[in-house]
Amino acid sequence: MARLANLETEYPVLDSTVRNFCASHGIFSVEDFLIHDLYMLAAFAEQNDSSERLKEGIAQVLSVIDDMHQPWLNGMELLEDAKRNKHVFPTGIQGIDLLLGDGIRVGQLTELVGPSSSGKTQVCLRTASNVARNHMVLYLDTGNSFSPQCIAYFLGKTISPSSAQAKNQFLQKVMSNISCHSVFDIFAMFDVLHQLESYLRCQDGRGGCQMRLLIVDSISSLISPVLGSSSTLGVINSKLMDTARALMTSAGYLLKKLAHQHNLAVLIINHTVGGEGGSSKPALGDSWKCIPHSRLFLSCDRGSNTYNVSILRHPSMASGKAARFVI
Amino acid sequence: MEIWRLPISASQRGKLISAGYTSLSSLSSISSSDLARELNVSESEAMNILKVASHSRGSETSNASCSIVEGAQSAWDMLHDEESLMHITTSSADLDNILGGGIHCKEVTEIGGVPGIGKTQLGIQIAVNVQIPNDFGGLGGNSIYIDTEGSFMVERAFQIAEACIEDMSEYNRFLRKDFQECKIKMQPQDILENIFYFRICSYTEQIALINYLDKFLSENKDVKVIVVDSVTFHFRQDFDDMALRTRVLSGMALKLMNLAKRFSLAVVLLNQVTTKHTEASFQLALALGDSWSHTCTNRIVLYWNGNERYAYIDKSPSLRSASAAYSVTARGIRNSSSSCKRIKMM
Repeated sequence: MARLANLETEYPVLDSTVRNFCASHGIFSVEDFLIHDLYMLAAFAEQNDSSERLKEGIAQVLSVIDDMHQPWLNGMELLEDAKRNKHVFPTGIQGIDLLLGDGIRVGQLTELVGPSSSGKTQVCLRTASNVARNHMVLYLDTGNSFSPQCIAYFLGKTISPSSAQAKNQFLQKVMSNISCHSVFDIFAMFDVLHQLESYLRCQDGRGGCQMRLLIVDSISSLISPVLGSSSTLGVINSKLMDTARALMTSAGYLLKKLAHQHNLAVLIINHTVGGEGGSSKPALGDSWKCIPHSRLFLSCDRGSNTYNVSILRHPSMASGKAARFVI
Repeated sequence: MEIWRLPISASQRGKLISAGYTSLSSLSSISSSDLARELNVSESEAMNILKVASHSRGSETSNASCSIVEGAQSAWDMLHDEESLMHITTSSADLDNILGGGIHCKEVTEIGGVPGIGKTQLGIQIAVNVQIPNDFGGLGGNSIYIDTEGSFMVERAFQIAEACIEDMSEYNRFLRKDFQECKIKMQPQDILENIFYFRICSYTEQIALINYLDKFLSENKDVKVIVVDSVTFHFRQDFDDMALRTRVLSGMALKLMNLAKRFSLAVVLLNQVTTKHTEASFQLALALGDSWSHTCTNRIVLYWNGNERYAYIDKSPSLRSASAAYSVTARGIRNSSSSCKRIKMM
């Protein structure tokens, strides 16, 4: 949303008379224009001397705004888009794939939540190794838990025994499709997502191996240092809280936008905190609860290798369904 | 809404938005003096804002063709890097086995256990073992020991250092049986000299030190391990605001992760235990809560099994859960003597 001053070069009708008139009503940018009552503005413009000029200026700004919104889609176009672009990626873990009805969906944000050491990172590594066979994967790591050895192990299990050289070549081809980047604070993550956005915009034009999976392990570690709780006192604390919540929700919306516009599947990891009565609930609070499209709760049976997964929220599967799996 | 993403103060952000600058592109064509005048801030502040904005924008335009984002590495390269990473031995072969060679560099390892199980002993052993020279399979680096409880004993460190050097010369003797005995040039004093010791008396000092470590490590590039004994102590009492504690601890954990990754060192955090009441039973769990348990890369829990000390891998991205016995001897951490199948004479 540009300032009106910056738009003058493109649209010379927005000269200083128009701008001064707008400034007298507290409008400095296109965004301010949207918030203002346009009928009142037009009425004031009538009363002004150079009313023609002003009305032209207002009309010009309105046409600029008109160009900015997303295109309208009807139901058939959405269905076309879903069939053509929004595929489903199997995670490679049988239990989870059966539970989700084939796997995680492109264009949606899937959240894995669970207590410590419940297999979340392992599920992500497994999914990454599965998707990387044909597409590119970006793994954002906040806890230095990305383990190339695990990926090599998972890939080694899936191919038939062949010569060491062939296996090596296969590993190299697939593992070169996975990029891993460490981020340690939320602003760094925004930076990375920004860069990813421009990369994806270029990618949409050309063919070849495309990026289809983004994993953030874990989003809660990035948001916890800034997020407070509702029991903090004072005005300053509540302002801090608002900024933190704004960062969190804008991160969520940015991830959803990337997923939908550029046909990515996004997998994020969240941890649990203690709730009432000793039960654990997902971290990041109620504001975050409605942001991911699907939420899966993972837990581990102590002492055995089996993990439990249950659906907390899913667009097409019933919540409460559970399954077990081994890694 | 891109101004939200810039790491600038809230008042500067507010001023930018009320002056009409809501996107990064609107800041591209203005000079710092004009900006300073419009926002009513000092020129240096305006320059800072423009620098931050252009940095965020610059990373958008300079799109390297080989990597998706700058600084990302492919998994294949990381696999080969990992093979060349060394581990820090704990002097107990069984423990090293379950750890996959020892304490990993570039990762944060949390070690917790009941009082008296040997956490400080393990911490001192690691601070000494990191200095084993490359010829003997060690890292040959220095160590930072951050003491919050006051349990570091210099005499004990000296004892462990002496035993370590004796072990090295013994190994040397076995290896170079034919050649003449080459004396180890290291002395226990040298080992002690390479342990940088910080004593912390409050949680603010702890946070300040972690922030300072960035500068310290840039100046002392040989440091290969940071041991914090214990990370819990100042956060357990007198903390009324639990939300503040969670924020502070998460921020601290991220900073330590960052240090571990950037300087390729190992971070070892020693933690205490607390009782957790779950489903009508009491269970021992590591202190500092669920959020903290999520922040480390690896976790080792030390516990008693009868008369033996055991270590159990609780969390690891690449190691299987396993447990091994170890013992604390006069020479430091060693294999548990029962595994040698020797009869103990009482």
